[in-house]
Amino acid sequence: MTGRPDQTSAPWRVGVLFSSSGFMAVIEETQLRGTLLAIEEINAAGGVNGREIVPRLYDPASEAAAFGHFAKRLMVEDEVTTIFGCYTSSSRKAVLPVVERLNGLLWYPTLYEGFEFSPNIIYTGAAPNQNSVALCRFLMDHYGPRFYFVGSDYVYPRESNRIMRELLRANGGEVAGEVYLDLRCKRRDFLPVMRDIRESAPDVIFSTVVGDATVDLYQSYADARFDPKLLPIASLTTTEAEIRAMGFDVGEGHVTAAPYFECVSGERNSSFVAGYKKRYGADEPTNMCVEAAYFQVHMFAKALGQTNSMDTDILRPMVLGSTFDAPQGRVSINPGCSHADLWTRIGRANRRGQFEVVHQSVNPVLADPYLIGYGRSVLCP
Amino acid sequence: MSWKAGVLPAEIVDLDILVATQRDEVGELLIRELQRTRARVRHLWPVPERLPEDADVVFVDLAPGLAARIPWLPGEPKSALVLIIPPFPPPDLELLRNCAPDAVLHRPFTTHAVLTTLVLARSHFGYDRRLRGRVDKLDDTLRAFRNVERAKAILMAKENLREDEAYHFMRRQAMSRRVSLSAVAAAIVDSQQLLG
Repeated sequence: MTGRPDQTSAPWRVGVLFSSSGFMAVIEETQLRGTLLAIEEINAAGGVNGREIVPRLYDPASEAAAFGHFAKRLMVEDEVTTIFGCYTSSSRKAVLPVVERLNGLLWYPTLYEGFEFSPNIIYTGAAPNQNSVALCRFLMDHYGPRFYFVGSDYVYPRESNRIMRELLRANGGEVAGEVYLDLRCKRRDFLPVMRDIRESAPDVIFSTVVGDATVDLYQSYADARFDPKLLPIASLTTTEAEIRAMGFDVGEGHVTAAPYFECVSGERNSSFVAGYKKRYGADEPTNMCVEAAYFQVHMFAKALGQTNSMDTDILRPMVLGSTFDAPQGRVSINPGCSHADLWTRIGRANRRGQFEVVHQSVNPVLADPYLIGYGRSVLCP
Repeated sequence: MSWKAGVLPAEIVDLDILVATQRDEVGELLIRELQRTRARVRHLWPVPERLPEDADVVFVDLAPGLAARIPWLPGEPKSALVLIIPPFPPPDLELLRNCAPDAVLHRPFTTHAVLTTLVLARSHFGYDRRLRGRVDKLDDTLRAFRNVERAKAILMAKENLREDEAYHFMRRQAMSRRVSLSAVAAAIVDSQQLLG
């Protein structure tokens, strides 16, 4: 018998599932880019144990069900065990049963609402204790206690708002209004929302609007001539990519909580940003989703280098507990919950479409996807 | 001849397999087919009073008294279990159910049946184990919730702390001792029970 597995030069094949079309394309396209940039860097440096990483790409076109079908195709027909992908919680929930039954590994580079633990998912975006908790405190301190919730109508906004409502209530805040719009809503659908906001006079608009509707929300806000200094839109999902799509002047003054912004200082981030712009164009900003998509591929490759096996039962234990010097700073995969321990930052968008960091954690914040350590309290740092 | 590397699913690569069936022509075929996957195959006959629990897969005859020979508790299997069903007498269906196998193999069987059964048993066993792991994790999470809430109430009453101060105290303790928050909370609850 010849051809022992460690002597082969056959490529490592991995699956990649991000939408390049449909209403989520603006942000998912950037995650695709972050994923491919990391793969190219790894291959340029000689691959993993001398073997190239070759991605198998599908475009689920922003349809949650398509994510499940493509995950199946990747694992069954393309014989892939590791998949990088998903932005919305609906798409993750479509892939979850597939990777659990067939024992794959999904790397999910997106903030989400928490309250999940799958042995077949590595979560590298922020859990609520790594963004919502600090954001709520910051907004109450700087703007006031009355929040108006506006979100897209699916699982992530409703769950995020449930958490934010609890945080507010425990700290003497209140919800001034709450409205959900279809993911495919039109610009005009925001007009009555703006009128309602004017009437209920909140201190903060907390947005969980995602996708193309994000641009409509912020532009409708600008058209209604609200002032971000007095009444900002605060978000966990509006990144440099959405700010660019809506226009820098429209985005200026609004607030986002995220583990990463393009302007984060440090040599590691400078070289990441330079590499990204070299590959995709000088005016292409990075963002938290690009960064997570990027560093998770490097963490995968590092673990694969040690196991030399894509078998999930062998690879996953090597991933758990591993650390990586990411653009946002040092991150690690928490072995207790397979979520990443990440940095907490709050940024305010400036006129150049960049976020200026107005608050950041002293250390990486341990992932606590079930919010066990927080109860309903946020007042203590 | 062995299977080429990469042809077999990950579930059935590099296994320790226990075979407890008669080593007649069909028994030999079973052992040979399993060895073709490069598994390390151990043959035990007659079936011992207590089957070993250190194998990845156990192939064993369905026969009266089998349930007592299986060393693990139902619902907490240590190995994937394949029951070999003889052509006669008609199988004891109640016993079959109580042994909770991952697959069955009917004597006489073909070479293909051996491999399909092996893959099915391992895949079913692995999925079952992942789901049980997930449930254990959820149970731990619920327990942690309960401990943290109880510890919080104790701290608020005994140390005269506000709710947020109580959480903060526990988080700080967890960080400085490098243990989980749940462990800190459990220690507070335990010491409270000791003090009465």
